[in-house]
Amino acid sequence: MSMYILSSHEIKQLAEELRASHDVYGPQVDPQTQQVFFDQLGDVDALNLEAPIPSMPVKEILFPQMEQVLKYKYDAETQNVEMAKPYVEKPKVLFGLRPCDLSGIQVLDRFFLGQEFVDDVYLTHRRQCLLISNTCLNPFPQCFCVCTHSGPDADEGYDLDLTKLQDGYLVKVGSEKGQALADAHDWKPAQAHHLSEQKAVVDRCIDLFPEMATDNKAWVARVMNRITTGFVKSETWEYIGDQCFECGACSFVCPTCSCFNVEDARMCDGECERLRTHDSCSFEGYARMAGDHNPRQPVEDRRNKRFFCKLSYPQSKKYLRPGCVGCGRCQWVCPGDIGLPNVVQYIRREITE
Amino acid sequence: MSNCHGSHAHGNCKPTGLCPIVTFPEVVNIDEIRDEAPEVKTFYMSFLNKDVEREFRIKSGQFIMCTVFGAGEFAVSLPPSPENDRFHISVRAVGKVTHALHALKPGDKLGVRGPFGNGFPFEEIKGKNIIYVAGGIGLIPLRSSIVHALQHREDFGRIILLYGARSSRDLMYQPDIQIWKQNAGFETFITIDRPEAGWDGEVGYVHQLIDKANVPIDNSVAFVCGPPVMFNSVIGEFLKRGMSEDAIVSTLERQMKCGIGKCQHCAIGRTLVCTDGPVYTYRQIKTLGEQI
Ligand code: SF4
Ligand code: SF4
Ligand code: SF4
Repeated sequence: MSMYILSSHEIKQLAEELRASHDVYGPQVDPQTQQVFFDQLGDVDALNLEAPIPSMPVKEILFPQMEQVLKYKYDAETQNVEMAKPYVEKPKVLFGLRPCDLSGIQVLDRFFLGQEFVDDVYLTHRRQCLLISNTCLNPFPQCFCVCTHSGPDADEGYDLDLTKLQDGYLVKVGSEKGQALADAHDWKPAQAHHLSEQKAVVDRCIDLFPEMATDNKAWVARVMNRITTGFVKSETWEYIGDQCFECGACSFVCPTCSCFNVEDARMCDGECERLRTHDSCSFEGYARMAGDHNPRQPVEDRRNKRFFCKLSYPQSKKYLRPGCVGCGRCQWVCPGDIGLPNVVQYIRREITE
Repeated sequence: MSNCHGSHAHGNCKPTGLCPIVTFPEVVNIDEIRDEAPEVKTFYMSFLNKDVEREFRIKSGQFIMCTVFGAGEFAVSLPPSPENDRFHISVRAVGKVTHALHALKPGDKLGVRGPFGNGFPFEEIKGKNIIYVAGGIGLIPLRSSIVHALQHREDFGRIILLYGARSSRDLMYQPDIQIWKQNAGFETFITIDRPEAGWDGEVGYVHQLIDKANVPIDNSVAFVCGPPVMFNSVIGEFLKRGMSEDAIVSTLERQMKCGIGKCQHCAIGRTLVCTDGPVYTYRQIKTLGEQI
């Protein structure tokens, strides 16, 4: 596919232009807390393509933390029911996705759209969505995408892919939608040396990963094998489970965690809403059934579920890649020190000892 | 709204042309409510939209998601197809939503999505004997399968029902069992746990009926549903007599929120009960690697 070279100014222009017809989301740094959020852009000047990885994964936009999936009104007197669909389709641009987050979206696509049933709610949010990824020039403290093949550069799934080089941004086209956008502009074609420069930039970034991340690389595959075949000792799972506070943070920050709960609630005007909210397999009530039978009572039974989701072959068959995209967010937020890289370490220790 | 209704424009259409109601519940009317056993009621219902009613086909062994407006949604096993039997569900009041359901009266409305799940493997078991073994409300998931088997009576060998409950009050579907019994070659053996005044039938546990009924083991399949204790003792008996683990079939229950393999609440090991199940062979159940 074609490649172009754009100045920073042209990139901003593109974002501004897309804003006319799309909701444009991009990384922004909160001036007070210095936290990075991937939010809707009120002003393109807030778009910060050099910002570190956003605190929350981009899945929030396609699969919100809390969302109405049905509204209804039931009149017990007349026994009449009215139903409405509350979610709407809007054209969106996700501008400046970190490659790990882009891989996360691919995982969700394959899970929500590629299995036996299509999830209508996710499809509605995803249908008109332009994905623009942004190569990482430096890894951030918890990153380990080199172990999971999802960074620091994107190799598929984007419409446009940006890499900051000396002369400006190298823009790679990855889809027909992206090409149509390029054709509508008078962008300067990139030269062969730009491509080799990009390769050098990515190689340099890979070299900058902390030793623990690269050291784990081969181990991620071996640990996957262990988890799939059930060869991880129950003591190891208990050790891991003992450190879990059941807070659910790991699931909420993970770009590929997609469990949800569904609840019906009454609103004040007599209408009811059906809410879909993020859920976490770490919660005690996750599998509890009516009548209080709970097949997953001990916390380690629930913890190994999470790592089975991220690192096992049956689950990877659904995602067409490992369930973990190496963003390191769970490592960052877990108060119990059992982020995914640590779990790989624990299982690795069990194998080598 | 985006249910298919036979226009087949939806992403969830099935090649058979009979498409499940995936996203938005279809409204049904409660026509009649019958008390079945303590805390168990049967709700007979019909779709308001007659086009949907015509399209709605359930394979025996599947389940639906049922909305009680204002309370929530629950998964309920295996009502028979409207073409075979009146469309109904039998539900025990155990949780918030099912209690709300029990408070409803005829004429009230419910929402229905589905059907979901794999269903019983009737194609593969043609020519075999079928042994139904049920404990208590375990007869609910087996009911549609019995109806199906009796409608295709010539496809199977002996059809035997071994059914046990705590007391005679807890026996389900009494009138139906009487009707089934009139069917040539439907053998029924019923037992209750403890002796009771006025009960002249069997007393004891279900697995003790296996000998009484002189159950054939070769060329047979057993459909077993009931509480874990009963399940384990019945399976133990069958295995002892040399029945293959593939010939023992059961249904599993889990918390379900979506029914379409997305919410993941029903995951057991690598399987999702809503899309891979709810019908499993004992060999599969044994290798799921989680508590049942
Ligand atoms: S498991 Fe942890 S490191 Fe992996 S994708 Fe999820 S949050 Fe990121
Ligand atoms: S995990 Fe990799 S792709 Fe994601 S932000 Fe870090 S370096 Fe970039
Ligand atoms: S973030 Fe850590 S402590 Fe919290 S639920 Fe996840 S694994 Fe457990």
